[in-house]
Amino acid sequence: MKKLIATVSLGTLLVAGFLFSQEPAELASDLEPSVFSISHDSSLF
Amino acid sequence: MEIGPYIKLHRIKQEMTQAELAEGIVSFAYLSKIENQKTEASSNVISLLCTRLGIQLNNETDETIRDKCQQWYEMLFEVNDKEKIINTYKELNSLMYEHHSDSLIMFEIHKIRYFLILGEFEEALTQINRLADMSGTFDSLHLFYWYKFKGNYNTAKNEFNQAMRMYKIAEEKLNQLELSEEKIADLLYTIAVTHSKLHNTLEAIEYSDKAIDIFRKQYNFIRCAQCHIVLGISYRRIRMYDKSIKNHNLAKHLGELSKNRQIIQLTNQNLGYLHSTKGDRKQAIHYYVEVLNDPEVELNARLTAVTSLIKEYYSIYDFDKTREMIDKGIELLDSMKNKESFKIHYYVINSYNYAIRQDNEKFETLVINEFIPYLQKHKDFANLVDYAKMLGRHFERLNKYKDSVKYYKLANVTYEELINL
Repeated sequence: MKKLIATVSLGTLLVAGFLFSQEPAELASDLEPSVFSISHDSSLF
Repeated sequence: MEIGPYIKLHRIKQEMTQAELAEGIVSFAYLSKIENQKTEASSNVISLLCTRLGIQLNNETDETIRDKCQQWYEMLFEVNDKEKIINTYKELNSLMYEHHSDSLIMFEIHKIRYFLILGEFEEALTQINRLADMSGTFDSLHLFYWYKFKGNYNTAKNEFNQAMRMYKIAEEKLNQLELSEEKIADLLYTIAVTHSKLHNTLEAIEYSDKAIDIFRKQYNFIRCAQCHIVLGISYRRIRMYDKSIKNHNLAKHLGELSKNRQIIQLTNQNLGYLHSTKGDRKQAIHYYVEVLNDPEVELNARLTAVTSLIKEYYSIYDFDKTREMIDKGIELLDSMKNKESFKIHYYVINSYNYAIRQDNEKFETLVINEFIPYLQKHKDFANLVDYAKMLGRHFERLNKYKDSVKYYKLANVTYEELINL
């Protein structure tokens, strides 16, 4: 069982490593501008 | 606007039944025909119905109302004083109640946008539902704004796929209308932002370019800057870093010209993220700190900077700074009115909070039962990869290999979905 888990983990890490080297990072959201107007308070202006 | 739908709208607004309005004037079946434009009633009947509804029929006042409405609509698309928008709204609302105006339907449709920019999402939804019954009587111009503002509602609720569907229907109406270039550009910009939210990178570039051409001619620096930010984000996603930095710098320059702190800091946030993705953590932190230390920046941008800093400090094992940022994040969250809109920040901050305190039970409960389902529901694949991986590492450290593999697998599958977008 341990061997199986180790193999799967290693495989997963290798695939992840490969994928991450293809596209360095898309690991969080960007901050797009609002589609509403802009103002200086915390609403959606 | 035709008198029938106008009467219907007023009756619904005043929560009257057809029987109540018709009583002693006409039969309620006849009123139904009037409202649905199946018959033309005599001026005497119309006058009696309007009197019962408390409406005056006066053409001169209608001109004044139309001009005032126009001014108000423009306020909803520009940088404007909130108080002024609210006061004009109140004035118009009472005028509309008392007089028969052709502008009523358009005014009612614009109320959706009005409630949204005030952050009153429930009111906006109520207004959408109230108007849904009437939408069969809308003309092409009404329909253009109806779909655009319904899309705006979906945007405000982070439902970007549905928002895109609405914007596309609005875009189809453009062929039937002679709208000003400014109004067309606003829709193109809105579509560009929505494509960017959906990670449709090439479409985001296409629509930003189209919008920017128009905004440039009109010297609308703020909207030009916002388009450059969308372009900056898009070019980063396709790893054209030089082009991305160039667009962000252009946006920043325009922000400085317009003395607009929001634009400047939005650019800093995205430049920070660009450097983070390139692995230059020092530079990323520098930009994020700029955003955080600006007292004028809006709350959402500050929270994003805080959560970005939490991730950066955590990844370089600077746990003191991570804790400091977590405290700042909690403090900011506590001061928010509209907590639901910032749910993602709540989850990020608390996940790291429990992780750093090694409160395993709370960490697992939050991430597994709430955060991951939330990200799956919102199709936020980018964050899903991040937090599935975090869970995988967490279980690996606890020697719970079966759980660990489960979440590493989720990270992988999600990553594949992300790069296939």
